[in-house]
Amino acid sequence: MENQDEIPVEPETESSTFISAYEDDDWSNYKDSDVMLQQSAIWEEDAAKSPFVGDKEPLSSLEAEYKSGSPILLEKIKVLSEHYAAIRRTRGDGNCFFRSFMFSYLEHLLESQDVAEVERIKRNVEKCRKTLQGLGYADFTFEDFFALFIEQLESVITGNEAPISHDELVVRSRDQSVSDYVVMFFRFVTSGEIRKRSEFFEPFIFGLANSTVEQFCKTSVEPMGEESDHVHITALSDALGVPIRVVYLDRSSCDSGGVSVNHHDFVPACDEVDKASTSSSGSETNPFIVLLYRPGHYDILYRK
Amino acid sequence: MTGSSVSSRKVLSKIATNRLQKELTEWQINPPSGFTHRVTDNLQRWVIEVNGAQGTIYANEKYQLQVDFPENYPMEAPQVIFLHPAPLHPHIYSNGHICLDILYDSWSPAMTVGSICISILSMLSSSPAKERPEDNDRYVKNCRNGRSPKETRWWFHDDKV
Repeated sequence: MENQDEIPVEPETESSTFISAYEDDDWSNYKDSDVMLQQSAIWEEDAAKSPFVGDKEPLSSLEAEYKSGSPILLEKIKVLSEHYAAIRRTRGDGNCFFRSFMFSYLEHLLESQDVAEVERIKRNVEKCRKTLQGLGYADFTFEDFFALFIEQLESVITGNEAPISHDELVVRSRDQSVSDYVVMFFRFVTSGEIRKRSEFFEPFIFGLANSTVEQFCKTSVEPMGEESDHVHITALSDALGVPIRVVYLDRSSCDSGGVSVNHHDFVPACDEVDKASTSSSGSETNPFIVLLYRPGHYDILYRK
Repeated sequence: MTGSSVSSRKVLSKIATNRLQKELTEWQINPPSGFTHRVTDNLQRWVIEVNGAQGTIYANEKYQLQVDFPENYPMEAPQVIFLHPAPLHPHIYSNGHICLDILYDSWSPAMTVGSICISILSMLSSSPAKERPEDNDRYVKNCRNGRSPKETRWWFHDDKV
């Protein structure tokens, strides 16, 4: 309780709220939602400092970040560096998973010039459009976002003309009028997939009392800035048919003493055709999108 | 205070204009029941008449909503307030500001003017009593410089009304 004065209290003029919890004197009255309000204030500050998508940095920059921190994390970063060479950070504004996916996917297309993949994903995007229509979304609510995503696809693989440069891809990813629209496109796709397969996803949507799958999508998927977890990643990967690897960097350690870095591959559950085209090394899936997860945040990783 | 108030608003982006024209067309074909919008040449500000639903404490009452669209609509929420006199409701302040999550943090481009109207009518219809929010006077006093409700840090604690 003696820390009370250090609680960042909003000045009264900023916090005219229905019931202002900040007026309460006791930590025990400090609810999760208060912490979340503060969290969003921190994001806003953080957001102003870093670009939506940063520059590619050597993995050693990650090590530097934890120099005086947890020895387990430093060990894990060492293990990471055996397989990964670089990291590209994204802004911690609650959209980092979608933003990381966007950049990683478009960058892969630009570098691979994989025409078949573009044709494949376009078919999936059409399915997503039908899903949303089937769920009763008016076309005008999502069509601009779909059009903008298709436009990005067509600018990285152009057919006869030269595609945009890598620098231009970075510029677009940092331009709010492109970047946020693509993020929102993914939010529509994710929401549509969760609602279409609501029976499948329902058991994973917990912690929200008296909430339905539809309500979850309205409050935790569709608004910008809402963070993503396994449910979102599974749904996006399934809907677009794109496998995603998430590498976890946290303080957990195994009893056996050795430090290892866990990862999870999200492999699209949909049709066989997609699986055949995305698993490059025999039966082993090897997603070209690799994201680094640290509690509350996703960045992009680059293999060696 | 950041100044995204009505007086300093910028012109709608091309994408916002297109979207609003489509919403307007949809509204004209299929308006949400209980609402009337008199179409003017001002796409950026809609004034919508709300009719209290039959069988509720607002039956036979008419109110007016003013909806102002930001330049980057629908990425950013519109500003929605009741024009004077605002209905007496535990989530509606006497200056017309409305405490409803979808107008602020929970806004999403998947929503429309029509879906906002439906949420507001549902909020009105489920009210058990005609009364102002407990902190009405303090809140309204703080808003005296004409700030937008979008600059308020709202605290949504009650989803029953």
